[in-house]
Amino acid sequence: MDYKIIPSVCSYCGTGCGVLFQVMDGKLTDTLPMKTHPVNEGKLCIKGWNLHEHVVSDKRLTTPLIKKNGEFQDATWDEAIQTAAEKLKGIVSAHGPDSVGVLASAKITNEENYLTQKFARAVIGTNNVDHCARL
Amino acid sequence: MEEQMKKWLEPFSTTDGKPSTLATMQEQVKEWIDQDKIDVFLGYKMVQGHPLPHFFTKNNLDEVDELIGGQARYSLEKIATKIAAEKPAIKIGLMVRDCNQRALNVLYVWNQLNPENVETINLNCCPSKLKKHADCSYLEPEKAAVYKKEVGIDNNMDVEDAEVFDMEQRFKRWMYEFSKCIKCYGCRDICPVCFCKECSLEHPELIATGTLPPENPIFHLVRAVHMGGRCIDCGLCEDACPVDIPLRLLYRKVNATVEDEFGYETGTHADQSPFNLLGDEVTLEPKPL
Ligand code: SF4
Ligand code: SF4
Ligand code: SF4
Repeated sequence: MDYKIIPSVCSYCGTGCGVLFQVMDGKLTDTLPMKTHPVNEGKLCIKGWNLHEHVVSDKRLTTPLIKKNGEFQDATWDEAIQTAAEKLKGIVSAHGPDSVGVLASAKITNEENYLTQKFARAVIGTNNVDHCARL
Repeated sequence: MEEQMKKWLEPFSTTDGKPSTLATMQEQVKEWIDQDKIDVFLGYKMVQGHPLPHFFTKNNLDEVDELIGGQARYSLEKIATKIAAEKPAIKIGLMVRDCNQRALNVLYVWNQLNPENVETINLNCCPSKLKKHADCSYLEPEKAAVYKKEVGIDNNMDVEDAEVFDMEQRFKRWMYEFSKCIKCYGCRDICPVCFCKECSLEHPELIATGTLPPENPIFHLVRAVHMGGRCIDCGLCEDACPVDIPLRLLYRKVNATVEDEFGYETGTHADQSPFNLLGDEVTLEPKPL
């Protein structure tokens, strides 16, 4: 029997509401709004209330997929990264770096977002960088 | 913010008349856990500067020294209900304010928790229609702003105040309030006495889907009707509502009707509710075809 309440921050958008995760015997079962959090003061939108669902969802991908012959197939990370790199290279050399756009994310850290834009600018060579949660 | 923080850390007093300190409460909890009277105690602890709900068990008995009665209210009984649903035999101790106790009574009536498996330590608090003495300043309502007063409903109104408006005004004002709803379901999700497996609010044949605000006023009226004989006036829904709809007032009106018609004061005791049609056993015979 192991119960925990774990404070965290909602990763769905840039607002950054304080949430509490309820964990029972190692399983994430519920999300609650953190009542003393200065951002949301005990309120959440529907996405925040259901944060735990995307963690425990059956639909969640647990391995990279590569589309072969029109169908997604399980792949290793090495294969997936290799494929992405090759395709990106091909597109950049055929159509120029500005044919690529990079979308950063609210679900990753500040540092990862920094790396993402660095990748766009320094590796691909484009200023086409935006963020999925530019609310 | 700092002022508020101080409030949350204030020591508590118990409602059973005995003078009490944090230390005696902690001792009591340790004793219960030590003697296997309870398997888990639900209380509060400061975590990263926030008073958060916390589980105390034999595995972290030392932490009981950090148990506080912090005044940020969470529905510990809702958490308890979810634990009991997974492990029906578990014995749970709870720190309860008046509202938590009323919710427990309703949960007992509706067989969501077994009173024999629940121990409580009572704290003072909560101004409410059902229990007037109060020292939970956390619940001091915010003042309504000018625009809301002009076109909506002030959350601090009593049922009687809100009925001073004529019918047309009343409908307009409530519809203004409902029109702000972002259908987050926070009011339902946080409610200690909302435990239905299938919620009517999500039923596409009862309430149209796919638009914001939700179909009004039906969305709010369905919830209001379902709160008759259930709502224990804790105000957690209103606290959780991102758009400040006076939900508590709405459900008070519903429960005033329940009290007038059935003499039933929701949550004040754990006796049968007039709405609980089924007994422990279903005795109805199906009619011959
Ligand atoms: S998605 Fe909703 S709950 Fe999450 S941070 Fe944004 S507003 Fe808050
Ligand atoms: S006041 Fe709101 S949260 Fe509390 S019992 Fe009533 S409906 Fe539920
Ligand atoms: S908490 Fe407020 S906004 Fe959210 S569904 Fe309930 S009434 Fe609507």
